[in-house]
Amino acid sequence: MTAPILSTHGLVAGYEPDLPIVRGIDFSVSSGELVVLLGPNGAGKSTFVKAIAGLVPIHAGTMMLNGRDITHVSPHRKVAEGLAFVPQTENVFATMTILENLQIAVAHLPKAKRGAAIEALFSRFPDLAARPSRLAGALSGGQRQMLAVARALALDPPVIILDEPSAGLSPKIVSEVFDMLKAINAGGVTVLLVEQNVKAALAIASRAVILAEGRIAHEGLPEELASDPLVGKIYLGTAHGHQGAPA
Amino acid sequence: MNPQFIMDGLIAGAIIGLGAVGVTLTYSILRFSNFAHGELLSWGAYLALAVAGALGFLSAGLTKPIAPFSFGWALPISAVIAIGLTGLLALAVDALLFSSFRRRGSAIIIMVMASFGASLALRSLLEFLFTSKPAYFTKALQIAMKLGGGLRATPDQLLMLGVALVAVVTVHLLMTRTDIGRAMRAVSENPALASIAGIDVRRVIRTVWFLGAALACVAGIMSGLLIQIRPYLGHDLLLPLFAAAILGGIGSVPGAMLAGLIIGLCEALAVQAVGAEWRAAVSFVILIAVLLVRPRGLFGKAS
Repeated sequence: MTAPILSTHGLVAGYEPDLPIVRGIDFSVSSGELVVLLGPNGAGKSTFVKAIAGLVPIHAGTMMLNGRDITHVSPHRKVAEGLAFVPQTENVFATMTILENLQIAVAHLPKAKRGAAIEALFSRFPDLAARPSRLAGALSGGQRQMLAVARALALDPPVIILDEPSAGLSPKIVSEVFDMLKAINAGGVTVLLVEQNVKAALAIASRAVILAEGRIAHEGLPEELASDPLVGKIYLGTAHGHQGAPA
Repeated sequence: MNPQFIMDGLIAGAIIGLGAVGVTLTYSILRFSNFAHGELLSWGAYLALAVAGALGFLSAGLTKPIAPFSFGWALPISAVIAIGLTGLLALAVDALLFSSFRRRGSAIIIMVMASFGASLALRSLLEFLFTSKPAYFTKALQIAMKLGGGLRATPDQLLMLGVALVAVVTVHLLMTRTDIGRAMRAVSENPALASIAGIDVRRVIRTVWFLGAALACVAGIMSGLLIQIRPYLGHDLLLPLFAAAILGGIGSVPGAMLAGLIIGLCEALAVQAVGAEWRAAVSFVILIAVLLVRPRGLFGKAS
């Protein structure tokens, strides 16, 4: 295994210092991996990735990105360091146009390079290019997810974290979103994915980690976890370990 | 009815509108009603007065009126300096008071109460430094020019209308065409998303304080030039400022300016129609009506 590109050591995080939701997680992702974080509702999956992104207070532990300590780096600096995060909801600026959303995303680049960066995103996500002046709030769920991912990819980050990108989407759109994630990973971007859609997530993951009660309960290859009925029953709420997850 | 109320209303409305642009920006991004905003108008006017006085002391030629206006070069130069100083004052108030509440995640009502305290302290300090006696940028008399249609205006009044228009167009372009403007709108909509989109939220907050204070300073100087300078100059405009910000739609720069003009015209109309003692009630009536009928205002986005 190559050196981890993103890792946490004894990470404790939560909205209140006395009530940590993430309770000491040692976790790492190697460059090029597509790791899926699974677990029952309330396991701390979303809180964990939000803490990595800088949106939830960290009370103990450390976090490294590419060998640099980013534990207490502000969220906007983490973006510049190469960590992209796509939240589950409210992940686009709804009152702004598609183009404006992307202009915000490329604002860290030198002005001369911004136009080309936006063009590259439009050629990667042609649905967005059709009407760049459309308000993001008027987009469908799938298109919003595309825009959110495009925004996250604008600076060519080495790591992208997505919090339940399939939530609220139709099965057809979910399939498209997962194809897109697979393609992003194939392009060399390390992906950390929080998902409730166990079957679809395990199908594209190179490794799976199960959280329960704010700690890592299991980790392994997707096929191992998918075929383990005990893991499925206890942690994923599935009868046979490889069916869809609970809502 | 004398049509002059239109000109009177536009002038009063331009002052209200400029102040309201500052209110709407700070409200939409800082997410609390800053009742100390009016004091920034007063401080802006007094700082310009003090700097203009100092410039006049250094060079009497700077106070010689620039035809056809009533003031000399000392005023525009002092206005530029006062804009910077008022912006710094707003940043200092934020650093000393509001930022600590933000860090603690204090409730909005705490921020509002703190702004009342800041308002009182800033106004008292002005009275202590300059006394409550009215002051003037110039005591030169101007004759109003006929503009046609029964309207009259002095060159100072026309210039101030032009300044207000330029200021609002500039701020609108800043908000829609520049990185910092887009960042301000992004923070206004969703600060958490803005931060993970790479926006330095604290820098945006500082910019908003400075910009809001700069506009308040311009409005204060306009009011001081066209009427008089008093420590209560900004405080007395607070209700119209908030009425205009809400009527225009929180976060909308053109909306705040248009609403300011509407309120100014309504006030001027009320003075003619029912008497000057009802002028102050107009903003209150408009504020209540908007909150009842269309809380998001003319240009506000539905939540």
